[in-house]
Amino acid sequence: MKSLSVVRFLVIGFAFTLLAVGCAKQPVVEETPVPAQPRQEVVVEQPVRAVQETSITDTTVATTAEEAAAEARRAAASGLQRIHFEFDRSDLTEKAKGILVNNAGLLRAAPQVNILIEGHTDERGSDEYNLALGERRAIAARNFLASLGVAADRLRIISYGEEMPMALERNEQAWEKNRRAEFKISR
Amino acid sequence: MKILLRLFVAVVLTFVFVCPTLASRIEISSPGQQAIPLALNSILPITAAHAEVAAEFNRVLEYDLELSGLFRFIDPASFLSDARRPGLQRSDVNFPQWRVLGTELLIKGGYQLSGDQLTVDMRLYDVTSQRLLTGRRYVGQRSDVRKIAHTFADQVLEQLTGESGPFATKVAYISEQTGNKELYLMDIDGHGAVRLTDHRSIVLNPDFSSRSKELIFTSYRQENPDLFRKEVYTGQESRLSFQLGLNISGRYSPDGRQIALTLSKDGNAELYLMGTNGTLLKRLTNHYAIDVDPSWSPDGNRIAFVSDRLGNPHIFIVDIHTREVRRLTYDGRYNATPAWNPKNERIVFSRMEDGTFNLFTINVDGTEERQITFGPASKEHPRWSPDGRFLVYSHDDGRGKTLWMMRADGSGARRIAAAGDRASHPAWSGRW
Repeated sequence: MKSLSVVRFLVIGFAFTLLAVGCAKQPVVEETPVPAQPRQEVVVEQPVRAVQETSITDTTVATTAEEAAAEARRAAASGLQRIHFEFDRSDLTEKAKGILVNNAGLLRAAPQVNILIEGHTDERGSDEYNLALGERRAIAARNFLASLGVAADRLRIISYGEEMPMALERNEQAWEKNRRAEFKISR
Repeated sequence: MKILLRLFVAVVLTFVFVCPTLASRIEISSPGQQAIPLALNSILPITAAHAEVAAEFNRVLEYDLELSGLFRFIDPASFLSDARRPGLQRSDVNFPQWRVLGTELLIKGGYQLSGDQLTVDMRLYDVTSQRLLTGRRYVGQRSDVRKIAHTFADQVLEQLTGESGPFATKVAYISEQTGNKELYLMDIDGHGAVRLTDHRSIVLNPDFSSRSKELIFTSYRQENPDLFRKEVYTGQESRLSFQLGLNISGRYSPDGRQIALTLSKDGNAELYLMGTNGTLLKRLTNHYAIDVDPSWSPDGNRIAFVSDRLGNPHIFIVDIHTREVRRLTYDGRYNATPAWNPKNERIVFSRMEDGTFNLFTINVDGTEERQITFGPASKEHPRWSPDGRFLVYSHDDGRGKTLWMMRADGSGARRIAAAGDRASHPAWSGRW
């Protein structure tokens, strides 16, 4: 967490450097060389205050950890991608495995986040069979994530079979979209 | 229970005015060949006329008798003067007038509406021998008119075939009318539909107990596909099975004392037997494949189900005592939703070919497989009527699922329009 504060400090420092550089460049612009000086004064004063603000206390560390967790959670929420399956299959395609590797990385970075893996099928086939097939797909995804170091107790599964299609059309593209496992963050 | 049943039978028998020997006992499975000429006369007012009551009664009775496939209707336009005479007694009926029309059977009836009380008197005559085959008097409320017509249609079939019709029973189904899949109940012609659940979730795959007025179904109400039980008239509902994972495909045994269902609590969809109080009795299958969609044999000793244990989904039969599994279907690449005829050794199932399901029947020993529906619409979830003579099923023509009904041989298919669009997963009740 200390390293984060350092990073923060560096970032702010860098920002001001940029500002300073920006201002320093201004004399190069030939039109208005006169107001350059007062601005430089302001720039000189501010870094001092900035240093005082970032002094490290316990509370700032805690806030930063929370922020980091929230950030990882946000990253997982926006970054977890669904995977797709072949007709009547629940084994993972190479593409699906690639996506799951990425999902696993996001989940390892966000250890407080638990997820619900939803298994879905296309509308073809019997409803009951599809409920079982959707569950198999969710299980395949769970097992693969677990093999990549995501604790299995963070991964709950549910099958919706063919009940919640993404695409309602009746063609191969729609069916392909619907044969999927989705990753939702649960509380 | 048996004593009750006997008592019930005795009571029913006393209601029959006359107990004649049966005119004929006929199989209704091949209707075209054996249609009996029938003159179905509109019921006549005994006192004041109430045209709408009579019309509704006649419509319902004709719908049921036509669905049976048992009859060839004589054109009412050809009826002679006796059709307008309210006399119902054997001595009142002018049989020669009916005989000249070429009919063998005659249905005549009369009704009386006093206040809200409706009385309907019905007679089925054998025109050739001039005998009364069955006579019934029904007393109810004005709103019972359809029920009375269905009940008499059941009686006509009972009289002629020895097996009552299923017309006064109910069909449960799933409809998306509210935007969510909920459970509904209706008469077999789609009339009087009522919604039974308000889960605002996903309700699936209902089944009736054949012994009591209750249903089981799967619902996601509590964020898992759990099995629920509901008493139809008290509305009382309970969560019966809520194991981790799937609690689906619930089916009451013929004696109503056990439920076969699919659970995946051990990581894979397997068939189990459960008591009606929710206690697990027995695991029936043990295979890494998917095992779903159980359907009981009439004797309660075997269960047909769907499994992909040999690659594609096929129908298998398991003996619930020995747990021995036997393969039933060999043709096709995707066979599902089996339903065992409650009266014989024939199983109906759906087969997917080129993305479309059609219905087939097959003997339990694997012989005489026969396709009974055709065409580009998908037909799924077939369920037998309690007498095993009719099927109700989901029909999907690409514009949405609707409910359809037909005879066991696939003839007489018709849409149950009143059930509306987006209706599926029918289940036929026992006789109530």
